[in-house]
Amino acid sequence: MKGEARRACFQSTTLPHLDRLVALASRRGDREEAEDDVQETYARAWIAFDQLRDTGAAFPWLCKILRMVANERRRTVARRQDLLFITELEAAHEEIVASDAPSPLEHLLARLEAGSLREALRSIPEDLAEAVALHDMHGLKYREIAEVTSVPMGTVMSRISRGRQLLAGLLRARDEEKPQRRLAMQGRGE
Amino acid sequence: MAGNRDIPVTETALQHTRLQELVAPFADGELTREEKRAVEEHLRSCGRCRCELALQRDLSRALAREPTPRASVGLRRRIEAIGERTSEVRERSFPWNRRWAAVAMAALASIAIAGTALRIRRGGASRPMTEIPVLRDALADCRRAMTRNFPRKADLAAVAEGLHFPIRTLRGPGVELFSTWKTTLAGSPAAGLAYRWRGMVVVQYAVPNELLRQQPDVGEALSHDGFYSSSEVGQGVVAVLKDGSGTLLIANAPPEELRRLIL
Repeated sequence: MKGEARRACFQSTTLPHLDRLVALASRRGDREEAEDDVQETYARAWIAFDQLRDTGAAFPWLCKILRMVANERRRTVARRQDLLFITELEAAHEEIVASDAPSPLEHLLARLEAGSLREALRSIPEDLAEAVALHDMHGLKYREIAEVTSVPMGTVMSRISRGRQLLAGLLRARDEEKPQRRLAMQGRGE
Repeated sequence: MAGNRDIPVTETALQHTRLQELVAPFADGELTREEKRAVEEHLRSCGRCRCELALQRDLSRALAREPTPRASVGLRRRIEAIGERTSEVRERSFPWNRRWAAVAMAALASIAIAGTALRIRRGGASRPMTEIPVLRDALADCRRAMTRNFPRKADLAAVAEGLHFPIRTLRGPGVELFSTWKTTLAGSPAAGLAYRWRGMVVVQYAVPNELLRQQPDVGEALSHDGFYSSSEVGQGVVAVLKDGSGTLLIANAPPEELRRLIL
């Protein structure tokens, strides 16, 4: 395939995934960096386009390139500084599942503002957050996530499970903090 | 542990742990038929895992409903342009800010043309750019900097070190300095500064006053009009003397617009 035909094929195969890739790249925070990463991803995808055998699998393929680009950018950047104490989240999750409630998160989720769950994902370990986001927000199957992240299926399974557990623990921990904060502010006359 | 209170006594903790790990893939429809049947059976007698299943499902659905950002119009345009002639040139990796790579490449193409086609517009002269040493060197340096995607750092203190003239940076709404470097123009030390402005790259050279005054045609325009400007094929070049140093601006913009940045 040459010239314009290659370009047309590239565009029809990859452009439908542009918004999803931006959303995925934005997961870590900075919007401008995310767009830079996506642009770099498309530039590399264009060069390597002939290696894509199954155009139906273009999204996981692009995800894999994006992941490489993002990791290269952040290789020298320190890990997130605001990781919450994992054992606290695990304990909060234990309390939730011990409740016997048929929908233990119903009230918590109902009170959340749009976007806050996505934001909360940034506070759990990156490998877990990535697997959860790829599955729940971007619709990848476990097999595709294993391919994108270069880990066995079993690891994907446990990352998604544990990621959601920590996220649930985080929501609960934050929810419990709110009344305490309000009381503290009232005490300070704020 | 409170979480284990519903584990049936007939089931070992090991079995529970194994099946508990399958709850998330069960919720996601990722299990084989056999695994699915085993989990279903386990769920009938384990309240904790039923609760876990509800948690996994509810969170998954809530995350799927979360609003996600979309690609900006600018990014979409840049990506749609991939594969065009100019974009093919930049298929090599650009380690610096990629949003500006395409802009810089367009400017680079113009500079290559301008280097041979620019003519002095002031004082009725028509001297080619290549015959004005400081402009010739500035365009060549600019081309080099763009080809190398500009130095990554913007460190004014570092480039100012050792220079006997001040560096006056461009100021104004939307003007953002992103790169600085040391260079030599017409045998004189100079500082190169690259800015983002209105979606384009503007390159500034800070040089000694006397260097600009000595340049053929440029010196005359400076003493006559207070500035030198020229343009060709969309490429603007402006030179002024201000606050104890000479400034040379190069960008894909009309010189009148560039003048507003420094006058």
